[in-house]
Amino acid sequence: MLLKKTSLAIKLIIIIVISVSSIFISAFVFNYYSLKKIYRDSARNDARNLSRIVSAQVSATLGGVQKVTATIATIVEKHHYNEAELISFLENAVTYNPEIHGMTIAYEPYAFDPKVAAFAPYVYREQGQIEVSQAPQNYLNWRWYLTPKSGKGAVWGDPYVNTFTNNISSTYAVPFYGDETGKKQFQGVVSANISLEWLEKIVASTAIGQTGYAFMLYKDGYFVTAPKTEFVADYSIFFLSTLLINPNLATLGRDMIQGKEGFVQINDFIYNKKSWVYYAPVANSGFFLGVVIPETELFAGLNHLYWHLVLIALGGLILLVVVISVISRTITKPLRKLARTAAAIAQGNLNVELAEPRGRDEIDSLTRSFREMQEALQEYMANLATTIAAKEKIESELKIARSIQMSFLPKRFPPLAAGEFVEIAALLEPAQEVGGDLYDFFMIDDHHLFFTVGDVSDKGVPAALFMAVTKTLLKGLSEVGLEPAQVFAKVNRELVLENDSLMFVTCFCGILNLETGVFAYSNAGHPPPVLIRPGQEPRWLTLPPGVFLGIDEHSSFRTEQIILQPGDMILAYSDGITEADDLEQRLYSGDRLLATVRNYRGDSAEALMQAVRASVADFARGAPQADDMTILAACLKHLKTSPRDR
Amino acid sequence: MQIFNSKNENTLVLEVRGRLDALTAGKLEKECDTWINQGEKDLLLDLGGVDYISSAGLRTILLIGRKLNTLSGALSFCNLGGMVKEVFSISGFNSMFPVYASLTEALQHN
Repeated sequence: MLLKKTSLAIKLIIIIVISVSSIFISAFVFNYYSLKKIYRDSARNDARNLSRIVSAQVSATLGGVQKVTATIATIVEKHHYNEAELISFLENAVTYNPEIHGMTIAYEPYAFDPKVAAFAPYVYREQGQIEVSQAPQNYLNWRWYLTPKSGKGAVWGDPYVNTFTNNISSTYAVPFYGDETGKKQFQGVVSANISLEWLEKIVASTAIGQTGYAFMLYKDGYFVTAPKTEFVADYSIFFLSTLLINPNLATLGRDMIQGKEGFVQINDFIYNKKSWVYYAPVANSGFFLGVVIPETELFAGLNHLYWHLVLIALGGLILLVVVISVISRTITKPLRKLARTAAAIAQGNLNVELAEPRGRDEIDSLTRSFREMQEALQEYMANLATTIAAKEKIESELKIARSIQMSFLPKRFPPLAAGEFVEIAALLEPAQEVGGDLYDFFMIDDHHLFFTVGDVSDKGVPAALFMAVTKTLLKGLSEVGLEPAQVFAKVNRELVLENDSLMFVTCFCGILNLETGVFAYSNAGHPPPVLIRPGQEPRWLTLPPGVFLGIDEHSSFRTEQIILQPGDMILAYSDGITEADDLEQRLYSGDRLLATVRNYRGDSAEALMQAVRASVADFARGAPQADDMTILAACLKHLKTSPRDR
Repeated sequence: MQIFNSKNENTLVLEVRGRLDALTAGKLEKECDTWINQGEKDLLLDLGGVDYISSAGLRTILLIGRKLNTLSGALSFCNLGGMVKEVFSISGFNSMFPVYASLTEALQHN
């Protein structure tokens, strides 16, 4: 189901998951490193505190031993005791100081007894029992004897492994002097040796955590205590540094034996793992303490916590993904529905069901708009259907109107005797279904032929209606005996009445007397016809001035006259001919009309008319017809001589 | 078709350039209506730049003339040439409206 979701859900998920993850990651990482620092500081404090405790304990213990030894030295200095007394001092000291393993009062040769070369009673503890003995005779050469003797004062000797006990031990030796001869003279050394086992115990107890440990160094960097007992007294930290190829250990060692305090990160010498080491000198002891805390353990809690956090965050992210999917589904489900509806509507099915939404959010308001649009579309389509039906009705009516209009116009001369005397040919092509051009020809009486060409302003149905009126008026008002100008005057007056729309007609009309050849004609704003006389150049007929019909009821018109001979032709036309344009909007023009007529060598009105029509078609070359076109050609064949010729 | 207007000593002159046919006649009618609404009642049409006029153009001229007439104003013409001059002559517009040969002459008479 998740896979079928729109990519909107996936986009949302990706963006939000990335953003949230970034926020989480930054917060976690920052937090992690901050916490690490806090843990480290905390560990350092713990180590420091522990080290202080150790310091205090070690100090106290060693101090105690120092005191005891010094006390005995002082006593022995003051007074010369006998052997039994000396041994008694030693016994007490050893008994009441459990940390002391053995003590001795070692005399310079002959210092105790002029007869005794070496005298050093030695009291020690063995398996809980106090034993008395003498120190080995070569005690005079030993360091613990020689060093105080050489005037260096009371010293702690270097730790060493006691061959008897196999423990690490250390000896404190205090010199004592006599003044019998008046000046201070070295008499001997009181020394106590202690096992540093207890030291090992203390140090071991300072370990932090389970993998942490502590160690102690002596002044050359040798181990006094260490987790690996083989290091003790034998190895120095510098040796380990070389062995483990870890120069940082040497640096640590140097810092430690210089008595510095610090907290460093190095690879330790037991596990060779990253660890933190706190180090500080142990007061009054010549020892230096190091507390090692492996990082893994130090940060174990933190890492553990973080794993949990990461898991929770992941869980949260997954939950977020689910929630986003659900929410985006509530958005995309109606959107997809709308898209489907739109597709159905686009394919023509306007009546697709779209439920009214219940809520008020943006999706619901979009759905509502959609429904409104759907309703509007349905209404529009219904209107369109009605309009189209109406249009089709009009078109079919226009077709009918056209055929009616065309049928008004005379096509061929009806079989009258006048056909012998005059040939007339005419054509009319409206620019639209119906047009405003007109022509007419009829006999007024048995030897007067009336013909006319007219052009109503405009094209289409309004012009066609006006054309019908005008044509009818021309026919109706042309009586016998009226001159063409008078006909125009009458028709004009009728047209001006009720002419609110300011339609006007240009018109040319003429009456030809078939017996005499007299041709009387008048003009109402129409372009001049062409007069063609055989053997002469075709020329424009001279027209009297006259305004359009239908403008001013007081307009006046004039009649002109010429006499036609048999063979003469009159070519009348409307300006749809002379103003026919081609694709570059050039006009056919009167000059071209004259030229075409000039080229016609025949004597048939019909042929001339067709020639002119063809010439115009050729000129227009596909340009749409701009105006109604009319051509009327009349040719006088021969005169009607007398009524008896009928 | 473009119409340029100018005021020449209190006479509003409309210079028309281009074709005056069924497509452009409406523009001329609208322009004149605007001027009439602003109170002008005497318009001088300079048709020197008109290269073609059809019956639709003539009809518009008649309409404008009639409107101005009812306001006791007048429509006059100048600079007619070529086809326009011919059409004005044939159609008798010459006798319906004052036609002047040049702009100067027209302004003198107004």
